[in-house]
Order: sequence, then structure tokens, then C-alpha cells
Amino acid sequence: MPILRLENASKQYLTDGESVTALHHLSLDVSRGEFVALTGRSGCGKSTLLNLAGAMDFPTSGRVLIDGVDTRSLDDAGLTRLRRNKTGFIFQSFQLLPALSVVENVELPLMLAGVSHVRQPALESLRQVDMGEYAARMPYQLSGGQQQRVAIARALVHSPSLLLADEPTGNLDSSTGELILDLLRRIATSHNTAIVMATHSAEAATIADTVLRMRDGRLENALEPCRT
Amino acid sequence: MPYLILFHRLILRPLKREPWRTLLTAIAVALGVAVVLAIEMAGNAAAGSFQSSMETLAGDADFEVTATGGVPPEALTNLALLPYPLKLEPRIEDYAVLTAQRRTVPLLGIDLLSIAPPGHTTSNLASPNSVWTGKDLGLKPGDRIELLINDRIGQYTVRGVLGERSGDAIVMDLAPANRILAKQGRLDRILVRTTPSKPPAGWQTTLQAALPPGVLVAPQGSRTRENRRMLAAFRWNLRVLSYIALVVGAFLIYNTISVSVVRRRAEIGILRALGATRGAVRLAFLGEAACLGIAGAALGLALGRIMAGSAVKLVAATVGSLYVSSTPAPVALTWDIGLLALLAGTGVAIVSALAPAWEASEVVPVEAMSRGRRDHEVRIHRGRSLAVAAGLALAAWIASRQSAVDGKPLFGYLSAVLLIAASALAIPALVDGLTRVSSTSLRRILGVEALLAARGLAASLRRTSVLVGALATAIAMMAAVGIMVGSFRQTVLLWMEDRLQADLYMRPASPAGADRHPTLSPDIADRVAALPEVAAVDRFRAYEIAYQGLPATLGAGEARVVARYGARPFLSGAAPQTVFAQLPGRDNVVVSEPFANKHQVRAGDILSLSLGGKAVRFRVLDIYYDYSNERGYIIMDRGTLLKYLPDPAPSNVAVYLRPGVPLEQGRRAVENALNGRKVLLLSNRSLREEAIAIFDRTFAITYALEAVAVFVAIMGVAGALLALVIDRRREFGLLRFLGAATSQLRRVILFEAALLGLLANIAGLILGVLLSLLLIYVINKQSFGWTIQFHWPVAVLIAALSVVYAATILAALYPARVATQLNPIEVVHED
Repeated sequence: MPILRLENASKQYLTDGESVTALHHLSLDVSRGEFVALTGRSGCGKSTLLNLAGAMDFPTSGRVLIDGVDTRSLDDAGLTRLRRNKTGFIFQSFQLLPALSVVENVELPLMLAGVSHVRQPALESLRQVDMGEYAARMPYQLSGGQQQRVAIARALVHSPSLLLADEPTGNLDSSTGELILDLLRRIATSHNTAIVMATHSAEAATIADTVLRMRDGRLENALEPCRT
Repeated sequence: MPYLILFHRLILRPLKREPWRTLLTAIAVALGVAVVLAIEMAGNAAAGSFQSSMETLAGDADFEVTATGGVPPEALTNLALLPYPLKLEPRIEDYAVLTAQRRTVPLLGIDLLSIAPPGHTTSNLASPNSVWTGKDLGLKPGDRIELLINDRIGQYTVRGVLGERSGDAIVMDLAPANRILAKQGRLDRILVRTTPSKPPAGWQTTLQAALPPGVLVAPQGSRTRENRRMLAAFRWNLRVLSYIALVVGAFLIYNTISVSVVRRRAEIGILRALGATRGAVRLAFLGEAACLGIAGAALGLALGRIMAGSAVKLVAATVGSLYVSSTPAPVALTWDIGLLALLAGTGVAIVSALAPAWEASEVVPVEAMSRGRRDHEVRIHRGRSLAVAAGLALAAWIASRQSAVDGKPLFGYLSAVLLIAASALAIPALVDGLTRVSSTSLRRILGVEALLAARGLAASLRRTSVLVGALATAIAMMAAVGIMVGSFRQTVLLWMEDRLQADLYMRPASPAGADRHPTLSPDIADRVAALPEVAAVDRFRAYEIAYQGLPATLGAGEARVVARYGARPFLSGAAPQTVFAQLPGRDNVVVSEPFANKHQVRAGDILSLSLGGKAVRFRVLDIYYDYSNERGYIIMDRGTLLKYLPDPAPSNVAVYLRPGVPLEQGRRAVENALNGRKVLLLSNRSLREEAIAIFDRTFAITYALEAVAVFVAIMGVAGALLALVIDRRREFGLLRFLGAATSQLRRVILFEAALLGLLANIAGLILGVLLSLLLIYVINKQSFGWTIQFHWPVAVLIAALSVVYAATILAALYPARVATQLNPIEVVHED
């Protein structure tokens, strides 16, 4: 069973009284351990797809199933549980809480889920992204690449089956970006975690198993990436 | 014009986009302004009413002739014999109760024969039952009315209604007035109208030379001026209290403009890069504050007028209880008041916006300083701030040791301001320290939401400190006034234990006041004294006098009785028996503490008083604690007073029953001896209850002012938490992405409010205790001359702080709701 399935999913928004379609009857399966890159211009629907995939939003029509569960069938508490257990998010601008230390940022998803012993898993997650020695630092004391590593550790700490990354290298220089992409690649393989990554960069997409190009809310094609 | 358009686009539009927050800030200012205006208008109305019917009917006299215990009739004769065309108006002035309306009104005896209009028959004028009534009483000629005068009730016929501005006075002819009020031929005042042939000083000398010793001439209206002077300290203190809500509002304006600057830092940078000058940026934010101030002032003006209606009753009650009889004048909304509103509202808004506006103008276009950095700066400077706070606290202590300036505790107020400033500077260290120390424990005990709340507050240290400062100031003032009033109340209760030793107290049914001492018929006291149930009576007589241009009360009791039964504690610690034993038969007096403080009198000093046509020198034996009124007492033995003012009528009588006589039996015996006179007979217990009820009523206005200040602070917390939610919306959205339930977000906000409230309560209580010491030992002592023993009103404090704490958390409900309704997708992707 795919960890993520979109069945004929469409999404429409009302903007100033006019209906704008962000996704058009899109269908997609992502398996565990698969690394999918979504490419396309701004506004083509990449982020909308990620939001649907992360149970943060619902399709206007069609279905989104995460590990076989239709997100529409869940109430707010059910959706929260689903996010806590199945998904992890990585953002372009890292989104670390400035008031918390590095390790406390990583502990956060576990704590919100009510897990009592959080320090060891958080440190382990930080070590996986080579940030173990920075655990006590505050976010403002880290570089952009280090912050994104911490964000990845945070996204992984509760062992999600599906990792959703929205332009994870968008705020980084190219060499740091490459390191982050390598890290994600490694995670997909070693953790058997599905990764769906939205990116502007065709170069970044090459690291994925599957590259999906989007235009105007539709998938143009599904290509096998050229490994370099 | 382009600047106005820019101002509208960049400043007014954002205000409109957040109507609730804008409204909350404007209301906070409005409440502050309203309280100031209400107290000003109520004070004017209550103080203005000294010029009651007594004065309005005085016409345009130039001088007034008065004497303690009444002006002897020969004074009028002497003046009439002067070879000048003087217009003399002898008057008797007292009060009566219009029984049907249960209304106390001025009762004037004037020489109607000399001013009678044609058509009035002499028999009517001189008839002992004829009265003329003021327009406000709504009576008409021919009406029959019943008046309670001292302890007697009489029937009177209204012969006519007086003209405009006659108020609620009742007028009768001099002769019957003298008889009914048992004045023994003495007059209360003679009004003198002179001619322009001499300067006023010349006339005063001429008139004084014609009068017997002890009779004084003063420009007409001196009494009103004396009363005004006496009330100055009271009004001053009330005014200062009324400004607290405005100060709390200032904190909130500061917070609003700071938030505005922080949010628009990038925008300011862009504007600066596009050519806006520092001055223009500064002006824009001051303009934003001015808009909030003007809106607050306009709203406050309307609200203040409404609040003044209630405030005037409370202020007038206090004035009546402690100072002088008065009927409040109508509340007047004048241009002055409007100007005060505008100045208070916009002034406080602009002054509190100066610092954030300056900060805005310092934004460097290429450098976008984040809020985190500003907070970091506050954090690294907290050591320096603590040092400055310690310096200010030291300055506060030095200021508290200084004497009053012209009877006003100006250094006391300065000390309070310095203490508040010191606490404002110490608060960031308190917030930072406590949130850091407690966050791990909080997380363990209350969960991740408490940790996020504590860290969130610490991260926004600057704003948190302002909020805690505003709430702490309001709580501190509430606690300080609570402790002061509680201590005062306890002191009064203990004082009454000592002072009120008699079993029963008698006084005329006609209402007494701080300046009004109706008398009992002398025979009543004699009859009561002769009862077998009664061991002793203390006949006490009080007269209103002016001492060094201020009203005071001259009293006389039976020193031997007081020495035997009473326990009036003296400042020197001397035994009351020893002191009172030295009063009879000698020109010795004791004075109350407020009198001593007001006139800088010490034991051993000599007081010169004019009594019964003689200037008499009295030696002050000692100073006693007294809390019955603020005017101050000079007390002598009854025998001494009768020697100079031979009027035996007592103002009140304390009755000591023989040992073993039950109170009810004694009361019945005394009631039987009253012979139908209208006398109030109070037991010791009911007199204490009455006194404490007056005390509580006196301080009701103080509590009301504190409540408004706290309300303003809590509104500020609501507004600030709302701003905090809006500012940190991305953080809240992110928490949803990370698996937070909406209920968890709500708890984060509520915990933040709870922590804010806790920090404010801790800071407020510490500051409040310090301010209460200042109020008790400096401000009150210098303003009113009372020694108050410090006392912890634990129950009141716990109740008040709990209510404030609960209200702070409740104020967070709406911001918490807003947080849970944020769309996480939108807010996380905002930039």
C-alpha cells in the first residue's frame, strides 16, 4: 500500500469572489522509501499538493489517503494524530522556534504528542543529521545549513513515514543545499521514509527517484531522473 | 497633502485593519482620561458647594465679622455707631432638617425688618413660626412645614419664596432664630458692606478697631477660602490617585506603538531607503499615538461626564464626613475640562510614544533589526538596568525622607514615581530570571504548553516586561492603597477601643458634620446625669474656629470624667489620667495629631485663641491620636470653656452607667429622661459601627479608582496578547504543522497570560508593599497628619490579587480563540 495516494484530487480556492483551481484532478502514489521531487514554477500547485499530502488541507474533490486513511474521514483531533504519527515537515525558511534551544526544537513534536521521555530520541535524531554537538545552542547561533539540519532532525524525530519538504534548499547556498539534499536522500533510503520535495531547482530534483513536473495544477509527466 | 496621504496609508490603515486592538488601546486611554475628568468634575462640584445657600444669600458684602462662640451683640452696636454709611447684616447661620423631605438645609436668621419689601406685615416677619424658603425646596407661600432644629421639632409657615440663587435655604427673622437656636443674643456673622471711600485694608483696620477683643474682621468669603485651602490636600491626593489609570494607559500606548514599530521595521527601512527622513518617521509614529490619544480623549470626555455623576456622590460623602458640610453642586462640563481631556489623552499618548518613535527613526535602511535582537539587547543590558533601578530606589528612599512642600507631600510623590520607574527597570531581570529558572519545571509539571509559554514570554522580553510593568503598576497601586486603607481601618478600630469607653452616646437628631455641631438642650444632660443608673456624663461642646487661616474644631469635655473613664492615647506615651488631671481650672489644652501636624504645634507650645471677647493664651500639654476628622481638635476642660463662652448646651454627651446596670436598662432610663426631645441615643457598639461605615464610605472612591486602573491594565493585557498572537502567528501555524492540537495552542496562550499575571502579581506585590509604606509613613502623614500603624490586610489582598489574576487569564480567552482559528498554511508561508 502506498504511504501517500492522491485520487483525482482537485483543489479550488476563492480569491476575491473568483474561483481559482490550484490542483486539477491529480492522481499520485508515493511508496515508502521513495523520494519524489515536485518541480515547476511558482503558483503551479506544488505547495498545495504538499498541504494536501500533509493533512493540513482537504481536496475540493477527489481523495487523499495517508497510509490508507482518507484525510476527509477524520475530525480535527484525528488529523492532529495523523500528523503526529505519519508526517514530518521541512520548510524553506527552517521555521525553528527562536525561543527554544536546538534540542528543545527537536523534542517539540514528541512533546506535543504527549511523549514523556523525549531527550534521548531528540539527541539521536540530531546525531543522525550530524548536529549532536549543537544540541544546547540557540537557533540564532547556527548557520542556515545547520538550522535546516535541525529542522530535518525535528521532522524525523517521531519517525514519520512521509516527509514533506517545501523548497528545503531555497534559502541555502548551493554547496550547503547539496549537503542537505544528500542528507534527505540518505534518510529516504536508511529510514524507508517517503519524501515528497517541492523545489524550483531542476538540479535539486535530480537527487530524487521520481521527478514530477507541474504546470497550472496538473502533472505534466513523470520522469525517471538522470543521476549525475 | 502628500504627507497626509502617506500618513493615512502607512499609519491609519493598519490601525483600521486591527479594529479590536485599536479600540482596546483607545478605550484604555479613554478610561484613564475619564477617571481624571470624573474626579476633577466631582471635586469641583463637591468643593464648589461651600458657596452654598449660606454664601449665595450673602449678597455683595465686603467684610464679615466673626468670633468663636458667636459675635456678641455689642459688636453690632459698635459698628452701627461708626460715622460711616455702612450696610450691616447680622446673621445667624445653622442647619435644620426638613422632616417631610428628610433633607438637611441651611437655616438663616437675618434682620428681615430692615430689608422687608413693602406690603409685608410686621407681625408676619417677626412671627416665630414664619419662614421664607429657597426656590429649590419647591414650597409655596402658605405651606406648613415641620423643621427639626437641634433636638426640637417645630411647625412653621412658609410666608414667601426667595428669589433666584436662593438654593435650599430657609430664612427666618433674627429674633426668633436666636430664640429657637438658643444663641443667647450672639450672632454667627455680621456682613459689612462698605463704601469705596477707603481702600479695603483701611476699612478692615477701622472696623477691627471698633470691635471688642476676640471678634475678627475678614474679607467676605474667607470661610470659603479656608475650606478650599483645607480641602486642597484631599483633592490633591484624589487627583494623584486618578492619574494612576492614565499612567497604566501610558504603558499600553508605549506597548502599542512599540509593537507597531517592531512589525513595520522592514517597512520603515524601505521608506528610509526611498527618502523618508528620520524626523518624518518619528512624526508618523507620534501621529499614530496622537490619533489613539485623541480618540481616547473624545471617548474619555463622554465617559468622564457619566462617571462624574457617581463620583460626585462619593467625593461629597467624604468631604461631608471629614471636612465640611456641603451639598454637591451640579457637575459642570466646562471648556477647561474639555481641554484637560485633550491634554491628558494626547499628552500621555505622545509622551509614552516618544521612545518607540525614536527607535523607529533610528532604523538603518540596510539593517533590519529583528525583534529577537532587540530582545537580546534588553537581555544583555539587564544588569545595567538593575544597577539603574537600584540607583532609583536609593533616590526614592532619599526623597521619602524630605519634608512636605506647602503642606503637599511632593517628595513623597516623587519617591513613588522613582519607585515605579525602578521597578519598571528591574522587571526584565525578574521576567528573564523567573521564566528561565521555571521553564523546565513548568514543562515537567504542566507540559509542553507551559514550556512554550514561558519561553515565548522570555523571547519577547521587551514587550513582556512592558506588559508586566503595566499590570504590576496597577496591582501595586491597588495593593498599596489596600494595605494603607486596611492599616488605617485597623488603626481606627484599635483607636476606637481606647477612645470610646462610654456605654451610651447622645447627640441631637439634627445631623452633625465635621463643621456642624448642633446642640442638645442643657437640661437633658443634667437630667441624665441625675439618673440612679448613671455613674457619670461627659458633656462635650464643639465650636468651629479658624486657626492660622484653616478651619479647626475647638472642643471641651469634662476632663475629670475623661481622666477617670477615658483612655485617649497620647503621642508622648503619658498616662491620659495624668494629662487630663492638668486641664481643669487652668488654661491648658490638648490637641489632636492632625492639628499638631498641620500647624506645627508641639507639647509646651502656646496657642492664642480669641474666646468670648478675650484673647486667651493656652498651653499645649500634649498631643493625642485622633482619627475622627482631618480638621484637627483643640480640647480643653468644660469649665475652662464655660468661663469664656458661657453657653452650657453640649454638642454630645457620653453616658457612663454604674457598674452592674444592664445596657438596656440604662438606655430605657435615659430615653425616659429625654422628655420628648429629638435625640439620637447610640450604644457604644452602634457608634463604632457608624464610625466604621463612614470610614468605609470615605474610601469607596479610592477603591473605585483602583478598580478602573486594574481594569485598564487587564484590557491592556488582552490587547497585547492579541498583538502577540498576531505577531507570532507563524509560530502558532508551525506548531499545527508539528502536530499541535488547537486545544494545545489555546493552552499556550492561557499559560502565557497566567505567567504574565503571576509575574505582575509578584512584582506588583513587592512594589505595592513599598508604596504602601510610602503612603502610610510619608504621603498620608504629610497630607493629613495621621499616624497609621502598619497592618497586613491579608484576606483583602488575597481576594484582590486572585480576582486580578483570574481576570488576566480570562482576558486571554479571546486572543487564544484567535490563535486557534489561524489558518496554519497561510501563516506559515507568510513572509
